[in-house]
Amino acid sequence: MANGWSVIIGLVIVVAMCVAAWIFAPKGENQVLWRSSIILSIASCYIMWAVTFLSQLHPLIEPRRSDLRKEYIHH
Amino acid sequence: MATVRDTPFRSADMSMVQLYISNEIGREVVNALGELGLVQFRDLNGDLTAFQRVFTQDIRRLDNVERQLRYFHAQMDKAGISLRKLDLDVDSLAAPTTSDIDELAERCQSLEKRVSSLNDSYETLKRREIELVEWRWVLREAGGFFDRAHGNVDEIRASTDGAPADDDAPLLNDVEHQVTAPEAQAERSFSGMNIGFVSGVIARDRVAAFERILWRTLRGNLYMNQAEIPEALVDPATNEPVAKNVFVIFAHGREILAKIRKISESMGADVYSVDENADLRRDQLHEVNARLTDVQNVLRNTEHTLQAELSQISRSLSAWMVLVAKEKAVYDTLNLFLYDRARRTLIAEAWCPTHDLPRIRATLHEVTARAGLSVPSIINVIRTNKTPPTYLKTNKFTEAFQTIVNAYGTATYQEVNPAIPVFVTFPFLFAVMFGDLGHALIMLCAALAMIYWEKPLKKVTFELFAMVYYGRYIALVMALFSIFTGLIYNDIFSKSMTLFPSAWEWVVPPDFRSGQSVTARLRDPNYRYPFGLDWRWHGTENDLLFTNSYKMKMSIILGWAHMTYSLCFSYINARHFKRPIDIWGNFVPGMIFFQAIFGYLVLCIIYKWSVDWLGTGRQPPGLLNMLIYMFLQPGFIDVPLYPGQKYVQIGLLLIAVVQVPILLFLKPFYLRWEHNRARAKGYRGIGEHATVSALDDEDEDATRNGEASSMLAHGVDHEEFDDGGDEGGHGHGHGSEFEFGEVMIHQVIHTIEFCLNCVSHTASYLRLWALSLAHQQLSSVLWSMTMAIGLKGTGISGAIFLVVVFGAFFFLSCIILIIMEGVSAMLHSLRLAWVESFSKFAEFAGWPFAPFSFKVLLEEKEELKPYLG
Repeated sequence: MANGWSVIIGLVIVVAMCVAAWIFAPKGENQVLWRSSIILSIASCYIMWAVTFLSQLHPLIEPRRSDLRKEYIHH
Repeated sequence: MATVRDTPFRSADMSMVQLYISNEIGREVVNALGELGLVQFRDLNGDLTAFQRVFTQDIRRLDNVERQLRYFHAQMDKAGISLRKLDLDVDSLAAPTTSDIDELAERCQSLEKRVSSLNDSYETLKRREIELVEWRWVLREAGGFFDRAHGNVDEIRASTDGAPADDDAPLLNDVEHQVTAPEAQAERSFSGMNIGFVSGVIARDRVAAFERILWRTLRGNLYMNQAEIPEALVDPATNEPVAKNVFVIFAHGREILAKIRKISESMGADVYSVDENADLRRDQLHEVNARLTDVQNVLRNTEHTLQAELSQISRSLSAWMVLVAKEKAVYDTLNLFLYDRARRTLIAEAWCPTHDLPRIRATLHEVTARAGLSVPSIINVIRTNKTPPTYLKTNKFTEAFQTIVNAYGTATYQEVNPAIPVFVTFPFLFAVMFGDLGHALIMLCAALAMIYWEKPLKKVTFELFAMVYYGRYIALVMALFSIFTGLIYNDIFSKSMTLFPSAWEWVVPPDFRSGQSVTARLRDPNYRYPFGLDWRWHGTENDLLFTNSYKMKMSIILGWAHMTYSLCFSYINARHFKRPIDIWGNFVPGMIFFQAIFGYLVLCIIYKWSVDWLGTGRQPPGLLNMLIYMFLQPGFIDVPLYPGQKYVQIGLLLIAVVQVPILLFLKPFYLRWEHNRARAKGYRGIGEHATVSALDDEDEDATRNGEASSMLAHGVDHEEFDDGGDEGGHGHGHGSEFEFGEVMIHQVIHTIEFCLNCVSHTASYLRLWALSLAHQQLSSVLWSMTMAIGLKGTGISGAIFLVVVFGAFFFLSCIILIIMEGVSAMLHSLRLAWVESFSKFAEFAGWPFAPFSFKVLLEEKEELKPYLG
């Protein structure tokens, strides 16, 4: 499900959202503000999500801990 | 008016206009423009002092009215009458006519007279009242003395025998006004013994000195009696209560008595006459009492009248104050105008937004029509080469953002508004540092509350809150982004959320014992935690190892994106100002330099993430080392990232290095070539000061030179050092002053700064990692020191303890983690906007547009604060 392609699929979705934001931004003298802010927000959030996802895609280390109780371990 | 509107993207188009207004309606026009608030007038009388200007008399008169109004306010404070404050949002004041103002001035004049006369009579009456009260006390106390004294006349006589007894005249005749010694007591009365007395009242703290002085000057020839007045008497001059004593001094001989009087007066005592005779004294007391009652009645009436007068004033005082303040501002503005006495016309010059010209024109027209004047008011757009002011329109939402940008500087006229990216980047970068869902939700609630109760909270004057309130929309956006980053970091009060199934599972050995070290493995090669950090990492031993690497790389990527984005604005600026050399000499080489090094780094980070190093059994390279070796030993690859890396890196380094001389030399040499070409064509830079103002004589001839100078000015116009200062008026564009050296030095500084900044600014974004690490660690420490302990308790006491601990946890979370950490993250984010982002594109060489506006005036005038609700 959530494999490497997710980043690309996410990018496509985000680009579509940006286009939609460009088209549907409220008209008027603040249109430029709406467009810039919405697209910038979407892009920023996407970058952050993608970076987080990519960093876990091929992890070089795995979680390790030694404070687990026996009852919990299989959860 | 259906043209392109001004947008927040860049500052509004400005025009300089000249207004010709008939003298009669000057005041009305300025009033109307003040309500409109779109025009900034220039001072055309710079050479005149404040006293020489035309409307100084009017301002003086208004100053006087204002003084009178303040006097009323002071009187109201004294009388304890509260002021009815004016709420500008609710009450709107109609523009006053001249006669309104005259009427107000007259009314104030008469009111002042009335109030001050009431005050005077009140004070006089008060003094009378106190005198009467004192007299009453003297009568009462002295009565006691006399009754006692009659018993031991001989003693008194003996004590005063030493005095010269050569005076024959009955002393008391002089001392007292009503001399009547009843025959029955004649031989026992004081007058019969030639003993006189002085009675009066003196402040208690002076009594000792008074006594001593009397004793010394009269060598003991006196008999003094005194008694304390139990109630403190109010001194009418200072309005402070003073404790006083009644005294009666008996002495022998006219001169001595006169001396005593003098001394008493000089010591500030009040002397009252008292009759020796008990019956007369009783009559006197009755009379005093009657008079006192009268005075008190009158006093009460006066006070009532004054109160009524003042409370009537209090109802409209605020409105008058505002009216006078506005009127003064109008005349101050009119003083900036040139007054043509011959034609009885006022001439003004002003900056105003080009797109609002029709509105200004309509206002002018309306005022002229209303006044029924046949002479029209004329508004002319004039051409000038002065730098127009920067006017960035704001609304409720953008105002606070624009303010934090303007705190850094005023954008150059018509360059991209630096606040445009800030609306998102500032709160977003804040959120990267602040990311915790719990804290973000609390912040969101606070921000929403401030927005929901926007109107009532506006009146709060507590300064610290007013500041937070002013930034409520910033707080809202910051909270929203923090919710997102909190979800990404999977942190809620330092705990994690198991929203999706983890990609990891523990490898449990069959003989597992509690506390044994276990590691996890990926459950499914095709499944990764879809949103944010996997919760399995939470609380592990190598949690920090993983998140540090992740957050560090994310900081670099976000920094790169932020700076690249900012750099693109410099391209838009160059396009707008039609300076292609800025594109080819600054933007393009700068961009290539930056991307060749840091764009490559970001690409490598992403590439490294997308390769399955463990699966293919290769060793992952350290990217930091790779970048360092790329500079120190080009061509040396420590651990390969991809085949052919060596050549790519050498190539990129070469490309980057080549950009440096382009950055250094292209622009200055191009400018010199352009300048020389213009010279060769025969253009000369004589008198190239183009029109500054149609009225400044020095510039009269300049318009003709316009074309020539614009050709030459073009070359220098590109300079970064076009000072843009308005008041100097000579802006830029002096072809004859083209200094190659200066341009070169400028460009060298720019190049060095840009190249070094690419490195240092990228490193500077690591603060994103550092602060988010600090925030996360602090909140987990807070949890372990409060809630973790509280949750261990059991039973009733444990439950009560938990409630207490939760209180402490919540309070500390708000104070330390939301407020303190929030402020710190905000400052860091602000720095990233101001330094790292703005330095890439913004010039900040503008001067702010400050229109003449009543709204701004009333908001900013400190003296009006007590009058406005």
